[in-house]
Amino acid sequence: MDAISPYDLRPWVGQYGSHIKAELTPPAAASLPAMAQAAAARFARQTAFTTVMPNGMYGSLSYQQVDEKSDHFARYLRQVLKLDAGDRVAIQMPNSLAYPVVLLGVLKAGCVAVNTNPLYTAAEMAHQFKDSGAKAVVVVDLFADKLEQALPQTDVKHVVITRVPEFFPPVVGGIVHAVMKYWNRQVPAHRVPFTALPAALAQGAAAGGDVKAWWGGLTHDSLALLQYTGGTTGVAKGAMLTHGNLLWNVAQMRAMCGSHIDEGKEVVLTALPLYHIFAFTVNFLSMFEAGARNILVPSPRPVQNLQRAIENYKITWLTGVNTLYNALLGEEWFTAFPPRHIKAAGGGGAAMHHAVVERFEQVTGAPLVEGYGLTESSPVVCFQPLNGKRHRDTIGVPAPMTDVRLVDDTGEPVPLGQPGELVVRGPQVMQGYWQRPEATAEVIKDGWLHTGDVAVMDAEGTFKIVDRKKDMILVSGFNVYPNEIEDALTRHDGVLEAAVIGVPDPKTGEAVRAYVVKRDEALTAEALMAHCRTLLTGYKMPVRIEFRDELPKTPVGKILRRDLRAEVLGANKNKT
Amino acid sequence: MLSETETRLLGVMMMVIMLGMGASLTFKDFAIALRKPVGVVVGLLCQYGVMPLLAYVLSLVLALPPAYAVGLILMGCMPGGTTSNIFAYFSKGTLSLSILMTMSSTLVAIVMVPLTLAFYSQGIEGNWQIPRENVIQVLFVLLVPTVIGIALRKWNANVGALIEMIGGLLGVLVILFLVVSWVPRNGALLMQTGFPVYAASIGLGLAGFALGYLISRGLKQDPRRSRTIALETGIQNGPLAVLIVLLSFTGTQQQEVLLIPVLYSLFIVLTSTAVTIWFRRITTREELARDAAKIGALAKA
Repeated sequence: MDAISPYDLRPWVGQYGSHIKAELTPPAAASLPAMAQAAAARFARQTAFTTVMPNGMYGSLSYQQVDEKSDHFARYLRQVLKLDAGDRVAIQMPNSLAYPVVLLGVLKAGCVAVNTNPLYTAAEMAHQFKDSGAKAVVVVDLFADKLEQALPQTDVKHVVITRVPEFFPPVVGGIVHAVMKYWNRQVPAHRVPFTALPAALAQGAAAGGDVKAWWGGLTHDSLALLQYTGGTTGVAKGAMLTHGNLLWNVAQMRAMCGSHIDEGKEVVLTALPLYHIFAFTVNFLSMFEAGARNILVPSPRPVQNLQRAIENYKITWLTGVNTLYNALLGEEWFTAFPPRHIKAAGGGGAAMHHAVVERFEQVTGAPLVEGYGLTESSPVVCFQPLNGKRHRDTIGVPAPMTDVRLVDDTGEPVPLGQPGELVVRGPQVMQGYWQRPEATAEVIKDGWLHTGDVAVMDAEGTFKIVDRKKDMILVSGFNVYPNEIEDALTRHDGVLEAAVIGVPDPKTGEAVRAYVVKRDEALTAEALMAHCRTLLTGYKMPVRIEFRDELPKTPVGKILRRDLRAEVLGANKNKT
Repeated sequence: MLSETETRLLGVMMMVIMLGMGASLTFKDFAIALRKPVGVVVGLLCQYGVMPLLAYVLSLVLALPPAYAVGLILMGCMPGGTTSNIFAYFSKGTLSLSILMTMSSTLVAIVMVPLTLAFYSQGIEGNWQIPRENVIQVLFVLLVPTVIGIALRKWNANVGALIEMIGGLLGVLVILFLVVSWVPRNGALLMQTGFPVYAASIGLGLAGFALGYLISRGLKQDPRRSRTIALETGIQNGPLAVLIVLLSFTGTQQQEVLLIPVLYSLFIVLTSTAVTIWFRRITTREELARDAAKIGALAKA
């Protein structure tokens, strides 16, 4: 067991070159509020956040305004609502100016933030609020009706309601709100007793109080965030991320990007939701620390919603998932006039497809680097280095101060080049799941976080994800990884996106089935099969290709293979 | 006939509408439109090929006297109305196509309107002719706010979006303004007006819808785009025609020529609303059918 495995020597450090430091000193800030305050002092007058609506209407907050308003929100929580240190506050809203104010306010109050997906059903909301024991919820008005149904089952005592155009200039904000309410009828009626966010801030300001006294004692070990995950496998569990986890991951991100992030000068497009860990750490925390201007888009669907944001601002960084990039590349306004100031784009969340990366780089001339991470690791584990040799179709190398191993089912490291489950150890790995020691013990063993992803490593220490352990398809005893088949399918020009699952088959055990969304209406299953035959051996070939208008996806755009499997299994049940 | 003040007010309103239209555009939109010219070509063909001819044929078939004929032909030669975009939105049409068509027909109006107008009004007596200078002058004056609108949008996205909205709302208000200021004073005239004039005023829009749809289907546009093009073709810029008439004629002559543009503007709101409801139902039905097909595919699996 203790023989030196190929992973223990961190072969990937050779790829860091002179651009990435292999050894990092612990983050100077003791907590996220300390980091935020330092950034606010340094970049005070610069714009921190701009929210852009689909028609181009916008509102902005400077670093100083975010700092002041979040102080007021902390005062509101501690002085008006009388919350204690460590109390959980749920935050449930799409990207908007209210998000950073509320999030930082919660942390400054010494409380713990519970990021909550606003698209949750009432039942899912109730579970998350109950499980986390949230005492207060800050929710966007669009979903207050669902909150009304969920509330009676929870311990939530206080509700603060915000609006998408919060902190916009009054006339513009009024129009955006009126259009949402009366034209699109998106703002439902509800009977939840609540305080509006601006009123809460006013009450906090009036109450006063030394905010620093509440966060001054926080350390790297203090809990900052309950980030719920695993909704795709069953009951959602809250990953406990500390101030240290998140600050470390910010430091690791910054080290990986090095001189590609010019402090105080970057403009980052945030189309992914901030309640998701990817945008939370990469776009919000890392870029706030770097003094960047964050362009927040409340909803990237339909993708035309990004047009004015991309046209009106000189975007230098952008993050997304495969489906978002794929959608952008399908838009003429994007391909005809690609943003000219982009330095780099980051992709993650799910495997990036070769064809998408290639086309994006061709269109924008900027590298689209793929990373890998998970909620339990704050999230970044691996990233393709921006300097040096590019290894496309990989997840790059582990971040500094991170150990990664590939192990077999007994936990032993597999030999170089062999597929094994990716396990991680590093300062960004969570403390565990909130009040679920058994679930924690299942994923964190001897300090290693087990990811459930199967990967291979080459001699230089570059990792490549093969697939999810549980998505693997077993065809006549051969392992088939859906990612590989999807990649083959999307290399056909007529394919917009594809999902591959295994379905029960009497002869082969499981059979490969593909779901495809066409880019070109004329595409036929026969033509696509012929294309696949040039790329895939027999047992990997889809037995059936089904065309769809769309594929089921998570809010960040990950394709939900599990929903497709459920459809098939459900249909089989009906038949018998 | 409208008073001097009302004419001026109408002029100002038109400027705001054009300011709003300018603010809805960026130079990139033009460039993108020109990269895929099918939409633009179909739009221009319908707007300056079909509509003027249709107006001309209608004036002959209905044997309209010169005063009404010139009003009808002028109406047919107008670029697309900005209100069409609102109807496109409500009918679940392709909004970007609608905006693109309105925009392209308006921009070439300064050349195309005088040309088509002169061509189709050749046979009309001299004193009923609309002077070409007036048409060019009005269109040119309206180009200025359009350009200012574009510049404002570039300068500040909030101001741009605000003006765009105000312009869109004014498009509807102007027609209401015409109803309120013109109809009560001309009740007697409306009573005396015979069938041919009503047929022309209503028929121009309806036939425009039908021809726009058939032509775009013929040019292999899908049904949804074709419905958008149909609305766009039938809906002309009525207030602009009214403005040109006001600047070209006076007294009873003005009142007579004004009749068809005003009636057209009133009826087009009604017919477009009816057509919009109908189109919306078709689109919804198509969407449901697609969903049902998906469920069918599932059941087979």
